[in-house]
Amino acid sequence: MNPDLMEQLGDQLGANGLPYIIPIHPNLVHLTLGLFIAAIAFDIVGVLFPVEKAAFRYLAIPVTRSGLFDVGWYNLLAATAITFFTVASGFYEMLLAVPLADVKSAWGLQALETMIWHGLGGVLLLTLITGMAVWRGFQRFRWRRDMARQVQWSYVGAGLFIFLLMFLQGTLGAHLGSEFGIHVTADQLIHLGESPKQL
Amino acid sequence: MFNELLPPLNEHNLPYPDTIHPIVVHFVIAMVLFAVFCDIIGYFTKNTRLYEVSWWNLTFATVSIFIAVIFGQIEAGLAEPYGSAVATLDWHTWLGWSLSALVAGVTGWRYVIRTQNLPRLPKPYMVASVALLVLVLIQTYLGDMLVWVYGLHTTPVVEAARGGVL
Repeated sequence: MNPDLMEQLGDQLGANGLPYIIPIHPNLVHLTLGLFIAAIAFDIVGVLFPVEKAAFRYLAIPVTRSGLFDVGWYNLLAATAITFFTVASGFYEMLLAVPLADVKSAWGLQALETMIWHGLGGVLLLTLITGMAVWRGFQRFRWRRDMARQVQWSYVGAGLFIFLLMFLQGTLGAHLGSEFGIHVTADQLIHLGESPKQL
Repeated sequence: MFNELLPPLNEHNLPYPDTIHPIVVHFVIAMVLFAVFCDIIGYFTKNTRLYEVSWWNLTFATVSIFIAVIFGQIEAGLAEPYGSAVATLDWHTWLGWSLSALVAGVTGWRYVIRTQNLPRLPKPYMVASVALLVLVLIQTYLGDMLVWVYGLHTTPVVEAARGGVL
């Protein structure tokens, strides 16, 4: 945001541009990504169950196919719920962002372009994750309720495609922090000509 | 003499584009947190299906934490910490190794409980898993300090360190 406007919040903001020392959004991202990726991963293990049966028996790990699909379902449900907060906190913290303006990222983008793509990507991913949860719910409770394999191949394919989008989105987010210095206290101090050694 | 054997380091002081450790830790933080959450809900609702969900999440966390420690060591070694970042990184390293043993230990305990087919999780186990969660949150906080306060591996900090300012 415009530094003059940031002045309006005056002494409420620290050197990192936030009213607290550690940004919230990147921490909720751990939950969104961890839960979603694990959900799809366990559905894949469930789909390939006939192939893996012998390996589980050898490892002496009792396993039921429905148990694996339970992980796929509940983890996705949790990922969907938390991601609304991930996106909300992301937009709040982007509102208070003062990126280093004279920098280009490793992908050749400037700060504002990266922020816009990351913002759009966030809304898109929230929509896709929610859509996946609805799709997963229909498979679990309606279309495939009595089938041993609870998910369609196309669902697994869609999940893997979303992994790719998450990689792109995550790299843009990493650039915002570690190249444009958004909400990184040390980077902002260096930009002001001060030493982060005082921290 | 070893310098010639290493790949060149980029503007993040890494031999590959971006830090990997903060990505791998998704699968420890999220899985331990969700496992404890499912245990607590399962404990009060007696929904044993949720016990199965937390067991698998813990197993996933155990596999992930060792990968997280490996990348954590590589990236800590290249981090060039300064000032009070040194002590924070030491604590983060110490707690990280300890957590690899603790997460694996709790998962092993969970394996034994799972084979017993109990209707409810034993109380000592519940206490241990909540304690594990607290340690994971402390560890996450320390890691957050390294990235968001001290800016380790961010381009301005790496640049300042190379310029001899830090």
